[in-house]
Order: sequence, then structure tokens, then C-alpha cells
Amino acid sequence: MVKEPDREIALNCSGKCPAPDTINRQNPSIQGDLEEESSSIDQEPRSCGDNSVWAHVSPLLSAACSDLNEGELIHGDNFNLFAAMSALEIMDPKMDSGMVSTFYSIDEAIESGFAPVPISSDRTVDVQCIIDIMDHLLACEATWHMGHSLAQTVFSCIYVLRPERTSSHALLHSFCRVIRATCRALVSVVSDARTNEEEDLFTMTYGLPFNGDEDGKGLLLLNAVEETICRQLRACKATSSKRRVFEELEPLQTNPQLEEGFCKALLCRIRFRKHFLHALNCMRRPQGRGLELARKHIAYCIAELESVLSSVEFLSLETVENGKNEMEESTTGSGRHPIGFDPNLNKRLSAPTPPRAIKLLSWKKAIDYYVKLLHNLDQICAFKLEPDLDAVLQFVVQFQKSRPDLVARAHLQLLLVQDGKLYGRDTFLTICARSLALDVTKNHGLHLNEYILQLNQLMINLLKILCANTPWQRRKLGKILNDWSIFNVQMGITVGHMMQQVTTPRTPKNGDKSALILNHIYGWLEEQIHWVALRFLVLGFDLKLYSPSEYCMVYWYMYIILWKLAEKAHFRVLIIVHTEERKAKEEDYSRDMAREDRISLWVLLLKCQTSLAQGLTVMIAALRNEGMCSKSQGPFNTENEKFVQHFGLLQKASLPKYDAYESFSESTCHARLDYLPVYECFRDAQKMAKEIKVGYANDPDKLAEVVGLEQVAEHNIIAVNLLCQDRCLKVSFEFIHHPHFATAVLQEKWLWSQMGLVSQEPALFATSIKENILSGKKDATIDDVVEAAKASDAHTFISQLPNVYE
Amino acid sequence: MEQIDAGGSTTVAASTSEDSSLDPIARVRKLLFRQMLVGIKDGRFFLGSFHCIDKQGNIILQDTVEYRSIRRSSPSPTEQRCLGMILIPASCRTSCHVDCSIEEQLSLIQLKE
Repeated sequence: MVKEPDREIALNCSGKCPAPDTINRQNPSIQGDLEEESSSIDQEPRSCGDNSVWAHVSPLLSAACSDLNEGELIHGDNFNLFAAMSALEIMDPKMDSGMVSTFYSIDEAIESGFAPVPISSDRTVDVQCIIDIMDHLLACEATWHMGHSLAQTVFSCIYVLRPERTSSHALLHSFCRVIRATCRALVSVVSDARTNEEEDLFTMTYGLPFNGDEDGKGLLLLNAVEETICRQLRACKATSSKRRVFEELEPLQTNPQLEEGFCKALLCRIRFRKHFLHALNCMRRPQGRGLELARKHIAYCIAELESVLSSVEFLSLETVENGKNEMEESTTGSGRHPIGFDPNLNKRLSAPTPPRAIKLLSWKKAIDYYVKLLHNLDQICAFKLEPDLDAVLQFVVQFQKSRPDLVARAHLQLLLVQDGKLYGRDTFLTICARSLALDVTKNHGLHLNEYILQLNQLMINLLKILCANTPWQRRKLGKILNDWSIFNVQMGITVGHMMQQVTTPRTPKNGDKSALILNHIYGWLEEQIHWVALRFLVLGFDLKLYSPSEYCMVYWYMYIILWKLAEKAHFRVLIIVHTEERKAKEEDYSRDMAREDRISLWVLLLKCQTSLAQGLTVMIAALRNEGMCSKSQGPFNTENEKFVQHFGLLQKASLPKYDAYESFSESTCHARLDYLPVYECFRDAQKMAKEIKVGYANDPDKLAEVVGLEQVAEHNIIAVNLLCQDRCLKVSFEFIHHPHFATAVLQEKWLWSQMGLVSQEPALFATSIKENILSGKKDATIDDVVEAAKASDAHTFISQLPNVYE
Repeated sequence: MEQIDAGGSTTVAASTSEDSSLDPIARVRKLLFRQMLVGIKDGRFFLGSFHCIDKQGNIILQDTVEYRSIRRSSPSPTEQRCLGMILIPASCRTSCHVDCSIEEQLSLIQLKE
């Protein structure tokens, strides 16, 4: 016997076990196969052979237990304490999902009248309850979208779980059917798009009654119900003279004073459901054919949501004053608890262990969520589906700025990539050739070229990744960069060979033309790689991955990447102009001026950003060298290590091709404030921004960005000026004007020179907390500040303040 | 501390006379790896192979299937699901049965007295 002192569950040995007949009384379904006096249960004939019986061993066990020493176990050879620790503990509420909650099963819940149909014999109450159920379902659905399982949210409703029960109640029945159909549509979109990797609970439908084909009819039924309620509404509004016409029509409920309000409240909820499902169905049509129609439905949805919100006033009239707080938290518009919901009903389905209890979004928050979702979907529907890669990439980046949720991102991805083609329509070869103004309509056999096939796959991956959420996206982008660069190197070698062969014999053949195209695509590929790298760096700002002490290296890297990207894009403009001019000469081909202008504008924008990044690099480096800004040297890792941590993936993809850190430290170590290029860079950026602004006059999003860039440049010029005059100013970098380009913010130093004198005073001085702490140590970084605050237990208090450390 | 030679603890075939002469711990050891049916307070039953027991009477079963009735009222149909390895605390155990041959069973009962 091995002694195992570790696993001792502090439970008393239950004295005597109940007599055999007690067991049979407790569970009569187990037939006692009695032999002599002992109980032998024959519940499992499979496991119990002909000659064997179930022997009662409780007394033996308790005898053995009392003989065992403290900490001893009885176990076999294959026992592994570590594995045994993972055993699910029965009757532990956090581990045992089979523990009996309110109901044994859905059937029992139904039998006990937990979810009656109709909900009440009083028709007014019935309608009221249905509205509550509708509201609660909306909150459930929004919670589901935020990444919880269906079983705990929408399918916690018995009416949704068992739609056939409600068939006598047209309103409830059709509504639940439509809810189920909506869930199905969304599950299929999200699982097709596979953007759900990061929120994998979304598509889990195991064990849920999810295959009802009748759900498709839900919309028809709902339409009929809507029609009836419309008539009821008209009837109650009609004057007495007209009333006769409607006399045969039964009112919605019994209280004539409330009739209008209830009709309206129901109608807007029903219509929202209807249009939402229609919009989803339209968006799923191949090649984006239903987008226009979807847009109309989305507009209806948004309007109906507004009326849903305004119906609160009427609905919450009767509810007793619950206090404002409770109303805010409530999952229904009226503030009442809905009937027929139990989140524990499905808990045995999800896993051996019970899922964590979740908090549903409140009804108000659910509506806010839907408004955001609908706006995001609208943004997708408004996209013009141009077969132009630059436009697609810029659209996706713009779309991601509002941090759209899973459902919207899945829809975008499905729209962009269908059947391995852009919008299910254009192959990536044509897209790519189009962005170079090349003609690939004549079949050069290019679409079978292995590089083109690979490129196709890379592009599909890229687009899919761009539709993921930002943290996921950044990680994946870093990883695919390597694939891209390997591909780039391979293609470079092959294309180099091909071009050599082309240049020697001067006979234009089909093969030569495809070699030329491949050569252009090779150049274009490098541009894309740099674009991905830039996106990778910029996402770091969105995710707040860089600390202020690292801004210098980040901007240096951005400068390198931007510079290269601008150069490549400029080459492309030259190629386009060249080929199109030639075509124009040959066959009176009208030049695509608009696109050419757009690309050159983009190149200018890139150049403007390049100068800004360069300016910021030099400026921060100068400040650092003159000791006015802390060096990025923490106690744990050197600057070089930090550099590798941030840009390791880029360096692996050989962007740039030389040793980046060495070049970074060389180029920044001599920077001084009175060094001229600082001004030059910012001035250049400012000048370019002014030019670009004219070009983007009718694109508000772009214009806002360019204005931001201009302001950054302007403010930084002033900052550099001031710093040159007064070296005692304190500098910090904030993202006031642009999310990725920092603006230098100056503060008078006299404040904290005085701080030293008053440091014993308990009250916090009327400046920022950061400075209060900084007053002790002049070269502290914000990280040090936080550390110091934590050490003195003030961090939690400070982080709750509106401006945190500022 | 008691040290019992655990030699072939898995051998099921054991003669009646041998069994009754052994002390309870050795006998329980002979039950290891057999199918065990444990009933608990809330009416559920667990069927799995006996893996381990400690001084406090907590049992670990392997490859367990849970059986429970769908309704509180009886009789009612049962539903089942697989749980893998579980630990049944002694405090909620109400019954415990082992799959064995008739002769073996006799020996087990004898021992009780």
C-alpha cells in the first residue's frame, strides 16, 4: 500500500450506509433483483453478466475506511495522483453540472407550469408578458453575440426550446420561430467565416434543438401576425363612426385604454425582428447582390429600434417604482422579470462541468449593441465592391476603427472572400493586375502559374486576418509576414531568371509577356509586404503595446517601413502611367485618371507620414540624448531586447534587410535638439498634408486623418521651438490629434521644482499625480510612477480617478 | 502505518474461504477496477470502474456514466451521460454496489458480521 497524504478530502466518513431497501424506495426504477437479503440492482444488465449480481459493499467499505490510516488510499497500480486531482467532484456546484437545480429537465419545467401557453388567461397580462419575453430575448441575443454560449442565453427560454408547444399562440410562436431562424443564420455565417476562433463559444449548438425546418415559415407567420396587430391598432384609433367596420375584429387585449400602446410596442418589436432577419438573409446572397436591399432593411431596423426604445415610457408606467438603478440593470423595457427563462436548463449540455454563471446585458445596453451592429452592417452594405485592392484594404482598415463585433466582422469577411475570389467575383490575379494597370484578359496561362496560385492563397489569408479582432489580427499578421517574405524571395529568384531569358532574344512571345507581368507582380508583392508590416506596427498603438520610452524605436521602425512602402507605391504609379500612356497611344485608350490620382494621393499621404515618423524619431532621440526624456532602460531588459521583443517578427521577415537595431542606435545616437532636420521633417509633413487635403476634399474620413497629421506636425514644430529656448520644460507624448502619431506636450518645470519643498504636505498638489510622484525622482518613467504608486497602495485608488495619473 | 502487499490486487477470482480470512482493506483492494454503482443523495446513480478510496470514504470512479431520472416524480425515464473520472464525496453517497459473482457476494456478506 502506498501512502498518499495529499489527497484528503475533508469529509467525514458517513457512518452507516442505508439499508438496501432504502435504495429501492428512493429509486423504484431500479428493479431489485433480490437474492437472499442483499440488494442486487439489475439496472445495468449490460455490465452485469448472467452469473453476477450487484453486491452491496457499503459496510465493507466503511469497515475498510476505519481500518485505513490517516492519509492512506486504496488504489491500483495505474493510480496517478495528478490525474486523480482532475476528477470532477460530484455535488460540488462548480464542478457538477448534473446537480439538480430548479427543475430536473425541460419537460418537468413545462409540466410544472413554468412556461404556460398562453402565459395568462387575462389577455392584457398575456400581452405584457410577451413583450417582456421579447425584450429579454433581445438582451439574451446580444449577450450571445458578445461571446457567450447559445445554451445559456437565447436557449434559456423554454418557448424557444420547444416551439411546437406554442403553435396555438400565433404571436409567441412566430416570434420564437423567427428568433431561432435568426440564430441559425448567424451561426452559419460565423462558422463559415471562421472569424470565431477567438470567440469559440458562439457557434456551439451541441444538444440544442437546432434543426427545425419549420423555422423558415416563421417569417410568414410573423407577417400575418403583424398584419392583424396593424388592423387592431387602426381599429382602436378609429372614430366611432368608422368603428363598425372593425367590429368583427377582436381587440389585442381587454383594456381599451392600453390597446394603442400595446399594439405599438408589439409592432415595433415584431418589425425589428422581421427586418433584421431579412437584412441578414440579403447579406448572405452571393457576390454581394443583396447588399442594396439589405441596406434598406437595416435602415428600417434602426428606425424600429428607436420606437422600441421610446415604448419604454408606456411599458414601465405600471411597474412599481423599482428605483432607477434596477431599471438600468433590467433586461426588459418594463423592468419586470420575464416568464419562462431558466439559464440552468441546458447546463448539462455544454460540458461535464457546469458553465460559469453569466451576466446578461441589460436591455438598454443590448439596444446600444444592436445600434452599433446595424451601423457596422450598414457600413459593409454601403461598400462599393470595387475590384481594387487598395480600396478594399483601406475599407477594412477604416471599418476596423470602430472596433466592430464578431457578427459584423464575419459578414465582412464572407463578403470579401467567397469561393476563393474577391467578392466571389474577381480572381486575385485580375485584382492584382488591375492595380498595376496590366491586361491579363488574354490567356497567358498565368492563372495556373504556381506563384499566382500561392499569391491567391496569401491574399485570401490576409483578407481573412484583417477581419479578425485587433489583438488576434496583429498576432496573425506578424506570423504571415514570414510566409510572405519567403514567397517573395522564391518569386524573386524565378522572375530574375525569366527576365534574363526575355532580354536576350528580342522576340515578343506570349511567354515574355507573362514574364513581364510576373515581374511587375513581384514588385507589387513587396509593396504589400510593407503594407502588412506597417499595419502590424500601427496596431501596436491601437492595442497600447508600446510604452512611452519605446516610442523612439517604434517611430524609427515605422519610418523605415513607410519610406520603403512609399517608394514601392511610387514605382507602381510610374508603371501605371507608363503602361496606360502606351495603351492610349496604341488604341485610343482612355486613361483611368481617377485611379491614378488616387494612388498618387496615397503615395503623398505615405510620404507625409514618413516625414512625421522621421521627425518624431529624431525629436525623441534628441530629447533622450539631452536627458530631457527618460531612456528606455528598465531594470529587466536592455533596449536591444525590447527592440527584438517588438520587432522580432519583422526582422525575421527581413524587413529591413540589414541589422535593424544597429542601424537604429547609430542613426539616433547623435541627434540633438538644435539639429536642423527635426524642423525640416515636420515642415515637409505639414506642407504635404496641405496638398493632400485638397485631394481628399470629398472624403471626410481621409480628410480628418490628414488634418490630424497636419496638426501633429504643427504642434511638434512649436514644441521643438520652445524646447530649444527653454531646456527645463517637461515633455510628454500624447495622442491628441492622431491615434498613431504622438504630439509633444510641454509642461512648466517650476511646478515640480517646488514640489520638493512641499513634499511632506499630505494633500495632493493641484497638478497631476504623475508629477507628484515624479517630484521625488526626476528621471522616472510612467512605469516607475505606477510601480511607486503600487508600492504605496495608491495605485488602485489612482486608477479609478478620471484622468488616472495625469 | 499498515503495509499490505498489494501483489496481484486485480485478480478477481478468489475463493470464498480466502476472502473471508482477509481483513477489510485487502478485500476492498480486490474490488478495484470492478464496475461499481454508486447512488447519491439527489437520486442519481454513477456507474464506473472503482479507482480509489480514501480514509474518509471518498470514492474515485473512472469512465463513469451518470444516470438520472428526468422527472422528480416517479416512475420516470432515465437519461444518461458520460462523465469520465469523478470523485464522489462520502457525505453524499447513499449506496454502493459492486458487480461480482454470486459466490463472491456471499463472502462479502459474511464478512459484514
